[in-house]
Amino acid sequence: MRIGAKLQDKVELGILLPSIALVIIGLLAIYSATINHPTAYGNFERQFYWFLLSVGVMVVVYFLPPQTFKFFSSPVYLISLLSLILVLVVGKTVYGSKSWLGIGSLGMQPSEFAKVGLILFLSYWLTRRTTDINTFKDLALALVIGFIPIALIMMQPDVGTAIVLGLITLFLIFWGGINLFGLFVVLSPGAVMFSSLFGTLPLIITLVIVLAILIYFKKDLFVSATVFVINIAAGFFFDYLYRVLQPHQQKRIETFLDPNADPLGAGYNALQAKVAIGSGGMFGKGFLEGNQTQLRFIPEQWTDFIYCVVGEEFGFLGSIIVILLFAVLFYRLFKLSISARDDYSKMVSMGILAILFIHFAINIGMNVGITPVIGLPLPFLSYGGSSLIVKMTLIGIALNIHKNRKFFD
Amino acid sequence: MSDKILDSGLRKRILSIIIFGFIGLVVFQLFKMQLMENFFYQEKSFENSVKKTLIPAPRGVFFDRNFNVIVSNKPAFSIEIIPSEYDHENTPIIENVMKVESGYISNVLDKNKRYSPFTPVKIKRNSDFGFLAWLQENKEYLDGIDYEIELQRDYSYGIKGSHIFGYTKELSPDQYRQLKSRYDMGDYIGHSGIEKVYEKLLRGTKGYSLSLVDSRQRTIGKYREGHEDVLPEKGNDLVLGIDADAQLVAEKLFEGKMGAMVAIEPKTGEIIAMVSSPQYDLSKLASVTSANYWDSLKTEPTKPLFNRATQSIYPPGSTYKMLAAIAALNEGVITEHSKINCPGGLQYGNRFFKCLHVHGSIDVVTALKKSCNTFFYQLILRLGLEKWAEYSKTFGFGSKTGIDITEEIAGIVPDSAYYDKVYGKNKWTRGYLISLGIGQGELSATPLQLAKYTALIANYGKSYKPHIVRGYIDENSGEFIKLNFDEISLSNISKKNFDLVKEALFKVVNEPGGTAGNIRMADIPISGKTGTVQNPFGEDHAVFIGYAPSDNPQIAVAVVVENVGYGSTHAAPIVKEVIKAYLQKDNASKSESLVKVNN
Repeated sequence: MRIGAKLQDKVELGILLPSIALVIIGLLAIYSATINHPTAYGNFERQFYWFLLSVGVMVVVYFLPPQTFKFFSSPVYLISLLSLILVLVVGKTVYGSKSWLGIGSLGMQPSEFAKVGLILFLSYWLTRRTTDINTFKDLALALVIGFIPIALIMMQPDVGTAIVLGLITLFLIFWGGINLFGLFVVLSPGAVMFSSLFGTLPLIITLVIVLAILIYFKKDLFVSATVFVINIAAGFFFDYLYRVLQPHQQKRIETFLDPNADPLGAGYNALQAKVAIGSGGMFGKGFLEGNQTQLRFIPEQWTDFIYCVVGEEFGFLGSIIVILLFAVLFYRLFKLSISARDDYSKMVSMGILAILFIHFAINIGMNVGITPVIGLPLPFLSYGGSSLIVKMTLIGIALNIHKNRKFFD
Repeated sequence: MSDKILDSGLRKRILSIIIFGFIGLVVFQLFKMQLMENFFYQEKSFENSVKKTLIPAPRGVFFDRNFNVIVSNKPAFSIEIIPSEYDHENTPIIENVMKVESGYISNVLDKNKRYSPFTPVKIKRNSDFGFLAWLQENKEYLDGIDYEIELQRDYSYGIKGSHIFGYTKELSPDQYRQLKSRYDMGDYIGHSGIEKVYEKLLRGTKGYSLSLVDSRQRTIGKYREGHEDVLPEKGNDLVLGIDADAQLVAEKLFEGKMGAMVAIEPKTGEIIAMVSSPQYDLSKLASVTSANYWDSLKTEPTKPLFNRATQSIYPPGSTYKMLAAIAALNEGVITEHSKINCPGGLQYGNRFFKCLHVHGSIDVVTALKKSCNTFFYQLILRLGLEKWAEYSKTFGFGSKTGIDITEEIAGIVPDSAYYDKVYGKNKWTRGYLISLGIGQGELSATPLQLAKYTALIANYGKSYKPHIVRGYIDENSGEFIKLNFDEISLSNISKKNFDLVKEALFKVVNEPGGTAGNIRMADIPISGKTGTVQNPFGEDHAVFIGYAPSDNPQIAVAVVVENVGYGSTHAAPIVKEVIKAYLQKDNASKSESLVKVNN
């Protein structure tokens, strides 16, 4: 065990091993979902090469000097913003979103890299000595840092990724030590927006509650009025947002509010996903034996619905193993965000946890039918090169932070 | 902003609750879906991807009374198109080879547009082998068109039997609504003849095969290698009272004639042969597509679809004289010795009812033998309408026999209530019933009723309800199971009176001076009675009823041939040939055209 302990000192196995295990399970599931598919049968092989490449990237990141990330925070953020602008100009449209940059025959999604840029730069900004998140100005600036890439991604439009970036920003501001009022200021517009989904009366009631809380905090009139105006704007902004959404995205929201409204249309995938997972039972139908998967009842199952393959073919046991691997990973990242060397590293660790957890929650939630259908990949398992490389880069960063946890400059 | 900052411990707690709370929620949901509700989702998944294809059950076949197959099943080839795979550019050449008018295929496909494009559409049933061969040869160029094997009735055993067997037809939408629980759309159901009445026995139970289909309903392969498929169960085979030899002879003799013939086994009521002519070709109806043939049958003036043996009524003519004789003897109106003078006819009021000859003073046996009309004019006047009608009804006239096909009518036995209704009360006289004495006038009967009447005379008033099917062979046990039919017993008529009439009928054929001496045979004694029915629309109808052997009757036959003349000339020889075919069974004379199947 001494060798194991020594290795654990250099490499956080609680982060590395679950990640690798999840990628391998993902490869099996992709193999099963595509082996009999007329056009996607090459995806397993491609994903395998992406896996090798991403492990290489991870190793490189692991060996980078400890100060690299902080040093490159601003450039990475700026480059990711530039690439988001570039994709709007020359990008390829896939599934109604202009989100792909083609480099030769390879395609990449700048929005994936924007996530890395955002956590690095926001962490840097929040942990500067001069930043006080509980001042109105710095809070506003932190929100702006998050809002710029969100706005650019909304223009693609890719609502799913925009939601992820918004939630990452929220996680980091929260971890940065925001006070109750600040949290209220950040969260209340979201609550107002959400209530407006259900009609005018819930919207008005929510606004009255917001007003009551504002009076309770007894802030000066200017601050209170500003916050309230922001809230009202949010209420109406949703209406605008709803109109910006693609018809299929509007449908998805309606379907989530009333799942039985359209079982053959927008609800189809969600229903078939539940059927696939539910029919798996305790031990699953066996590798390559799932009829929902093999007979292609869920389109593009190797991307956003990869978890169904696991649920159907490996059953409750397989599904729980995947959840447990994620749980271990989250727990170790959570510990890292407490025990890392400096505030910046803690914040970056939390950012990594935020990215992985938000993807996990939205994707798994949609697969098992407890959140609406939002097209996001499941980290490590879903087919896709950009996503896998970014996720393994994040793991590389986390391992780097762990390796240097006792290093003081 | 000096409010309390959320301390780091509280932040950690909140975050862990969010992260691990959500994980707990997912685990709970997985537990619920995969373990608690697993059965429900498995059902759904099964429904999704396993397609059930029904396999029709072969109908039971028909055996004759000697267990020769007379109707069986044969495979037929339907041409099918799967619209999603079909290339419309091939349509002109396919239509050309199929020999159908251009536009035929697109027309059929349009009618089936509401179904999935992966569901095969039948474009032709009973395709000829030429087209199949062409299809097979050019298979690689012809995507989405193929053939399917179906089972069809095989009528190639020499017997037409169109009015006995009847036919099956695709369920009508109305029938489907009523029979939904047991039938599927597109199923065939017995529509006439014994196919209709014995539908339940014949039908069998459909099987099914399970195949895997993908989300677009395309077949991928068999479900569990076919282990859970259920084979269809064949229907029960029917054993008919029909004698193939007698039936075949009767059908041949009726070719080119119109009329009907029914032969019954007197002791059992089993129908030995039954012909209604003209017949129709069941094998042409089985191919379904022949709409033209169907239309021609419906519009044909000789009405071939109509069963003349059970749905056509004729006055029975002189063959009915025995009824008046039996009634008068049994009621004591006359005795065997009573004589009535025949001066060549009867003057009644200002009307003269004529006889064919001057018979002088004769008794009842001689009157029957010579078919004297005067005797029976007098007899019915003495007997009276009510007694005559009562005895007519006793023998089953005026009501359906209840034979095991639904195509039957009751005929008419006029009584005073009938005349009151037709002519008005007190507006008719006894003169109206004089012609009834010789089987003319308002009296009308089906050939089947005449055959039953003949059988009852032959067997002293004892028989069973006439029936075509004797029983069936149980498909599971292989046993022959006899069906039960109601017994008929005319016990109020004395054997002596039957004997008197039977003596007369024997003399009709076998004594000089009888009206049907022309059909006398040395080896088989036949008894019978001629009839020639006046027909206001043309030539007389020829009628003959008879049974044989006279001393131990095994077959009773009634024949009506329309518009040909004398009964002795045109109807009696048919009766003779049918009797011969039935009773003279040696292997040499057995019809070669009859295909025997021994299994």
